[in-house]
Amino acid sequence: MPSVQYDAIVVGSGISGGWAAKELTEKGLNVLLLERGRDLEHIKDYVNANKEAWEFPHRGIMPTQQMLQDYPVLKRDYPLNETVLDMWVKDKESPYTETKPFSWFRGYHVGGRSLLWGRQSYRFNQWDFEANLADGHGVDWPIRYADMAPWYSYVEKFAGIQGSKQGLDVLPDGEFMPAMEMNCVEKDVAEKIKKAFKGSRHMFIGRSANITVPHQDRVNCQYRNRCWRGCPFGGYFSTQSSTLPAAMKTGRLTLRPYSIVTEVLYDKDKQKASGVEVLDALDNKTYTFNAKLIFLCASAFNSTWILMNSATDIWPDGLGSSSGELGHNVMDHHFRLGASGKTDAFSDRYQYGRRPTGIYIPRFRNIYSDKRDYVRGFGYQGGAGRGRGAEIAEFTIGASLKEALSVPADHWGMGVMGFGEMLPYHDNKISLNKNVKDKWGLPVLDMDVEIKENEKKMRQDMMNDAKEMLEAAGLEDVQTYDYGYEVGMGIHEMGTARMGRDPKTSVLNGNNQVWDCKNVFVTDGACMTSASCVNPSLTYMAMTARAADTAVTALKNGTL
Amino acid sequence: MNRRELLRSIALLTGASVVGGEFLLSGCKNPAAGKISFSPAVIDLLNEVAETIIPTTTSPGAKAANVGSFMKIMVTDCYTKEQQDVFVKGISEVDHQAKTQTQKKFMDCSAEERHALLTALEKEAKRFNDERTDKKAPVHYYTMIKQLTLWGFFSSKTGMTETLRHAPVPGRYDGNAPYTKGEKAWAE
Repeated sequence: MPSVQYDAIVVGSGISGGWAAKELTEKGLNVLLLERGRDLEHIKDYVNANKEAWEFPHRGIMPTQQMLQDYPVLKRDYPLNETVLDMWVKDKESPYTETKPFSWFRGYHVGGRSLLWGRQSYRFNQWDFEANLADGHGVDWPIRYADMAPWYSYVEKFAGIQGSKQGLDVLPDGEFMPAMEMNCVEKDVAEKIKKAFKGSRHMFIGRSANITVPHQDRVNCQYRNRCWRGCPFGGYFSTQSSTLPAAMKTGRLTLRPYSIVTEVLYDKDKQKASGVEVLDALDNKTYTFNAKLIFLCASAFNSTWILMNSATDIWPDGLGSSSGELGHNVMDHHFRLGASGKTDAFSDRYQYGRRPTGIYIPRFRNIYSDKRDYVRGFGYQGGAGRGRGAEIAEFTIGASLKEALSVPADHWGMGVMGFGEMLPYHDNKISLNKNVKDKWGLPVLDMDVEIKENEKKMRQDMMNDAKEMLEAAGLEDVQTYDYGYEVGMGIHEMGTARMGRDPKTSVLNGNNQVWDCKNVFVTDGACMTSASCVNPSLTYMAMTARAADTAVTALKNGTL
Repeated sequence: MNRRELLRSIALLTGASVVGGEFLLSGCKNPAAGKISFSPAVIDLLNEVAETIIPTTTSPGAKAANVGSFMKIMVTDCYTKEQQDVFVKGISEVDHQAKTQTQKKFMDCSAEERHALLTALEKEAKRFNDERTDKKAPVHYYTMIKQLTLWGFFSSKTGMTETLRHAPVPGRYDGNAPYTKGEKAWAE
């Protein structure tokens, strides 16, 4: 097939890829955006966005036996349900193997998981970028908070993040739209936590990429809390609602769905990438596309999978493998435990509308003078709500049962869940399993990742601190819970092509360039050197915008 | 209310994990489900049983929500073979119980007789579920019927909009709205 020349190729159209496409086209480059899955058009293809529960055959929440068979991975947690089924990968078509259990929840379509994400948007803090250096785990980040701060501001302004300024170094403020409000119980609990812990613990509205005022061509959030199905108002940040239209507007973007990138083509003489090879998922033919710049934004593991399949004649383990770190240092956020309680107060108060975010309690462990028998820390997400159904005597049926279930619960409930940092361990790794092939005959990934002592110790605190805080806030009947955590369930895959200061111990430099191939940039979760305990997507956005700026400057200077 | 909360509240009301939702808690593997058929007469019967649990009051009840058809879909698609068998056997058991107690089929019983029959089944089901030595074994068939009734009714159009209140597009959020005792709950 004849090859086509572009200035830049972006692989993957999720949060990172969308940003790369926007930034590179706006800076004047002709960009080819490759997506392995189908196209999914904004609004038009959000087929379930306006359906009510009764319009789904199983009312939206119970998987069928068929779904359980078809989605052996997705069924391990909440993602499997009929309201968003078409936005998750078909597990059977894209298998992987598990040396140790790993839940990999993927979205293979235009927009990727930007359509499905939880939208929680937090900046890493100064200590996050210094943590590896301070405690000796992993390698030092080649960048600091000051390098990222202007890029956080830049992406926040465009994406639209609602939140409240708190003036806390542990969770730096950003460029916020007016904040959503905590409800009456949350406000009360926040006040009581502040008092009980003498201002050392804080609770406020969860910062999220839901817009609270009209922004660009997008309508502000309508409080339906159906973000996952795609928002017909463009109320939350996704590739479709935000970065893709901006890139399209330049007239310099070509979007090509059904394009599985099988390798980056490496030119030995120039020591640079010349383009990518694509397997067309529809016609099964191979195509070559050439460009001066390659941005890998295929989601952490898939970007690394592409590198592992590239330039193997020079480096048997793939492009970027010379350090021996490619595929290593896998991280996720460990969670699914915490505490919940209830209160008799506020029985004359209720809620209206479905707020698409909860509360956030930023890290307070191992910060300032606090010192634990583990390193790093965790934050909490959660919220209060008044459920449905008054208390009723056992064995009641008929009109009185119906009556009791037709009114709000007697109590408000409040729950929090901890999200903890996972350390970068060299032996937590992914690798190519050439014995197992996917639907297209391509080798699959094998997962060999586990949490270790540091995370397990932290989980004790995550559960106990939750109980302690809710009790201090005056809630009653406070119970801890642990649903159990399997690595991957955080859907925050990070690492495998980490940034660093030394080509001997890292895959990427401080500008997200592959040390061994400077015109290949990796800006999704793969680049992460450590994980922090906050949700990572905002950092990918900022990292991508920053790398795009570096790349285009270098391209124009002729240094790339 | 998210999925986990909804399943938990139904479980609390019926004293057993929601059938079909076990995978959420245990990740267990279910054997393949079989094909079963529900005659119109069976759906009528299920509607009447459901109507006894959630009757028409000032708003329509479970029969108007056609909870019987909902049960058919859920049992066919979401239950395991083992659970289906218990449910199907349970349908004839309802009539058997009715005949023993009243010498009539369930459909021929008065509203009072139906209420008394199901109240007895409530107690029998609780005893059965509590006494199961293997907690992963299927629950009593009446528990299945009740779970599907509550779920089917409160996620139906009439349940959500006439018995409860529903705002498809709230447009705003108020987390400190006044509430007067007796006002209906929001459907989601």
